Formats: sequence, C-alpha cells, structure tokens
Amino acid sequence: MLEDTQGLRWLRATAYNVLAVGLGILAGLAVVAYAGGNVGVALSSLFLDPITSSGGIQQIFVLFVMFYSMGLGIGLALKAGLWNIGTQGQLLAGMVMVFVVYLYLAFLPWPVLYVAMILGAAIGGLLWIAVPTILRVKFGANEIVVTILLNVVAINFGFYMLSGPIKSPGTALGFPITTVLPAKFQIPNIVGSVPITYAVPATIAIGIVLYFLVERTPFRVKANTVGESPETARYAGISIPRVMTLTMLAAGALAGLAGATYLMGYRYELDIGSFSTNYGLVAIIVALVGRKHMLGIGIAAFFFAYIAYGAEAMALAVNVPTYVVFAMEGVMMIGILMSAYFERRGAI
Amino acid sequence: MSEKSGVANMGLEGIMLMSLVMTFIVDYVTGNPWIALLAAMGTAGVIGLVFAFFALRVRMDQIALGLAIYLFGLGFSFIVFNTAYPSGLFPNYVSLPPIYSGWGTVPYLGTIFLKLDVMAYVSIALVVLTAIFLNRTSLGLRVRAVGENPKAADNMGVNVNKVRLFAILFGALMFGVAGSYFAGNFVPGFQTNIIAGRGFIVLAMIYFANWKPYPTLFAALSFNLVYALQNEYISIAGSTVASVSTLFNMLPYVFLLALIPVFGRKARAPKFLLKPYRKG
Repeated sequence: MLEDTQGLRWLRATAYNVLAVGLGILAGLAVVAYAGGNVGVALSSLFLDPITSSGGIQQIFVLFVMFYSMGLGIGLALKAGLWNIGTQGQLLAGMVMVFVVYLYLAFLPWPVLYVAMILGAAIGGLLWIAVPTILRVKFGANEIVVTILLNVVAINFGFYMLSGPIKSPGTALGFPITTVLPAKFQIPNIVGSVPITYAVPATIAIGIVLYFLVERTPFRVKANTVGESPETARYAGISIPRVMTLTMLAAGALAGLAGATYLMGYRYELDIGSFSTNYGLVAIIVALVGRKHMLGIGIAAFFFAYIAYGAEAMALAVNVPTYVVFAMEGVMMIGILMSAYFERRGAI
Repeated sequence: MSEKSGVANMGLEGIMLMSLVMTFIVDYVTGNPWIALLAAMGTAGVIGLVFAFFALRVRMDQIALGLAIYLFGLGFSFIVFNTAYPSGLFPNYVSLPPIYSGWGTVPYLGTIFLKLDVMAYVSIALVVLTAIFLNRTSLGLRVRAVGENPKAADNMGVNVNKVRLFAILFGALMFGVAGSYFAGNFVPGFQTNIIAGRGFIVLAMIYFANWKPYPTLFAALSFNLVYALQNEYISIAGSTVASVSTLFNMLPYVFLLALIPVFGRKARAPKFLLKPYRKG
C-alpha cells in the first residue's frame, strides 16, 4: 500500500480533474457529432489550433490574464464564504472606467494618465462591488442576488456610456463605439512581436503576492473561519464585517483590472461586443477548479484559456455554433465537482 | 418552493432554455401547444432529476452545480435549436389559446383580461395552490421543516432527501412551464440566451418576497410594472431620448436594489438553504 502523502493526494486530485475535463471534451465531441460535424477535425483543432497560430497564442494569454485576475477575486471572496457572481459586471465597470479616465482626465501627462487608467479600472470594479458589499455587511442582503442584479445593470449602464459619454466623436451617427487607444496607452509585448504582454507577468506577480498574503498569514485563518463558521469567528473576536469587506472589495478591484488588461492589452477599443461575453461565469469555474488556492487558480486559468480558445476554434472548424463551448464547460464543471466528492470520500 | 426545503436551483435559466427549445420543436412537429407544454415539463423534470441526484446524493455545492447546469443549458439549447432549424428561421408556432369568456363585454377590464391567455390564469392559480400546499397540508409542513431544521425533521421521521427531491422536481416542472410559456407568448422566436437573466431575477424576487408564495406574485407583478412603465416611456418619448433609454432599462433592477434596505431586514432565508444534509 502506498502511503497517503500530500503529494499522492494531489496527484489523485489532478488525475480526477483531468478525467472530468476529458468528460467535458467527450460531451463536446458528442454535440459535434450530433450537429453533423467531423469529429476528427474537431479534435485536432481543439488541441492544435491554440498553439499553431500566433492569434491563438495571443488569445490564450489574454484570456489567461483575465481568468486569473477574476478567478483570484472570486476565490478570495469564497474563502470568506461569499459568492461573487457579479464578476462580469465588475469587469464591465472596469472597462468603462478605462475610457472615462482616458477621456476626462486627458490633461494629465502621459505616464500619469497611463497609470490612472489602470487604477481607474480597479476603482471601477471596486465601486461596482461596493453596493453588494454594503448591502451585505450593513443590511445582511444576500450577495448572490445583488451581484447578479448588478450584472444586468452593468450591461445597460455600459450601453448608456457607449452611446454618449465615452462614444467616439468620429464614428457614424449613433454607432456606439469608443476611439481606439493610441499605441502609447497600450500594454506592450515583452519580446518584440511575440504576442505576450507585460500583463501576464504582472498578473502572476499579483497571484504570488496574494498567495503569501492569504495562505501564509493569519488572514488565512480569519477568512476561513468567517467562511466556514461565522459563530466561531465571532467567538474568536474576528471582525466579520472587516474580513467580508476586504475580500469583496479586493475581488471587485481584481475584476476591474481584468477589464483594463483586456482593453489596453488586446482590444484597444470598447464596443457592444465586449458586453456580451461570458468571461465572468468562466472565471467562477476557474476559481472552483483552482480550489480557491491562489496559485491553483492560475493553473486552472491557463487551462481554461486554452480550452476556451480551442473549443471556439473547433466550433469554427466543423461549423458548429460556438455555444458548444458552454455545454462543454458545464459538463466539465459537474465532473470537477464530482471529483471533489470522490476525494472527500477517499474513494480513488 | 424548492428553496423552502433548503435547496437553491441556480440552474433554472438553463432549464428554462432547454424546455423552451423543446416547446418549439414539439409544437412544430405536433402542432399542439398542450403536448409541447408537456414535453417541456418532461425535459425540465429530467434535468431536475439530474440536479437532485448531484445535489442530494453527491452533496455538491448547489450554486456551482446550478451554474454548471445553466452553462450547459445555454450551450446545448442553442445547438439543438440550430440543428433542428439550421436556417435560424422561426418555425410556425401554434400558441395557447387566449381565454374568450364573458370578459369581453365588461368595459375597461374586458380588454385587459381578454389579452391574457390561459397561462396567466393558470400561473395565478398555481400561486394560490402552492400557498395552500405549503401552509395547510402536512407534506407542505414537512417541506418547510426540512428547510428550517433538517435535523429535527429527520428525528420526527421525515425523509429529508425525499422531501427535497420532491421539492426540486416540483420546482423544475415549474421552470419548464415558465420556459415553455416564454416560447410562444413572450418572445416569438428564438435567440441565444433568450431568457437573458430573467431567471436570475426570479431568484431575487423570491428573496424580496421572503420565500412566501403570495408576496412572490406581488414582487413579480410590481417588477414587471416598472419594467413595462419604462418600456412605455421609451416608446412614447421616442428617438429624442434614444441614448438615455438604456439608462431607463436599468430602472427595474435599481428599483429592486433600492428595496433591499426596506425589506431586506425582515427577509429571512430558510435556515438550511444550501446546506446538504447528512443523516446521523
């Protein structure tokens, strides 16, 4: 008999997660077959397209940065027992703020404005999550309900901003789109033409800092206690409102930052297309798959960035709607939740 | 209702989408909206069973599971519709008949009630029935007991998971009805993510209604009143306010949020909402 060491347990968990993902891919292929697509072509484009095209590599790292940043926020809040379903709204608030700062604080000199845009995005996300945080801490309102409601509000608010205050003056009448950010306001690539920007190491650095803050300091105990047993926390003299407020606000700011990396490192302009994404939802899966672990979330984020792009490429290659991605992610998520169950029972 | 027993089903949007597509297809094939409705409820029931299995037997995190089902429904419903109707064209839809009764002769009121179809009445009846069931029958009492204090209920000889299974299934069937209703009478035609967050709004309404059937009806009506008012205002004001119309779109939601400090203090969720129960 092998001894039940930590390393072995980790291996088992990984094996199970891989299995879950395999299930999701199988489900995706089943859908492809059902819709009349070529399964072989689908499989090869799912795995190979992301690494064989430079567009694929760029997308993977853009998505990785966003998923990691948002996933960190969701994981943080989860540690304190709070569900932040409103990541999508905070992301949009961050994106809008980038342009609000860019247009309305344009008098600032270049490096200051550059930093202000990034900070503005974080503040946008933070303000957006401040509402559910206050309602939760002061009024005891369910944060799930409020964050979901605010997602819808964010989309409408974004439309409003796009069609007026931050609309590009140069576009055709009524077409809601912003101006394109000039090159000096874009996040540059690290090495020449390799499409990997400085946002990647920056996000990893944030993850590592959070890892030490959250996993290696007394804060870890505090957050976990608040999350798992508020009564114990109260008894131990931990300020529950403070832990909740801190984790929630940090979650909002991280989601806002994700918005900045998307706009300043990839899209450079904001239009309606950016509102109809589903990145916030995927980030929730990423946080769960990463087991709320600040470094684990990074691995999960990279993986889902790969799958998200691969699945989209697959859908295009076999002419199946890209919505197949959602179905696959749903199945994967159930599989991963299953693996957590087997682990608890020690049945592997 | 299923939340009363301590189970929250975040997958309701996914269920609504799936049953909506089912309604379209069956309605198109059979030409009979009632059979389509049944098919939709069947689809929803099956997904409900899956949800119940994972939530009760496997004791998964219900929110995560609900989101997974939502994602799956979002993706799969579109694929199914797209495969059945690759052109994306909307098939002929036979909708449920409106009620033509004596209402037509009553001034003012007549025009209002005439426009409502069967489902509007059925849903109000369902609210009343659910209220009676929860408050007046012994099974209803058990449902509430399981949500408030599963341990005590178990000691009294109530099978906690059986009751929850029942509640989840009932809830799923209702989502099926709702999704099916959407198909013909609300939005004629299918778009991706057609429910567009309305399912999630319902979760919020239940919250404001303090998990009680009658206030839920009231919450639903008042939300839609604000919703309709802002729509009406936009269409009256016309293009002059086109750019601010999106601001008005936020109103119903802001309205709900503003209510939280007012009603939120009183709101009290079933104590063991989201908590899986393990016997022993």
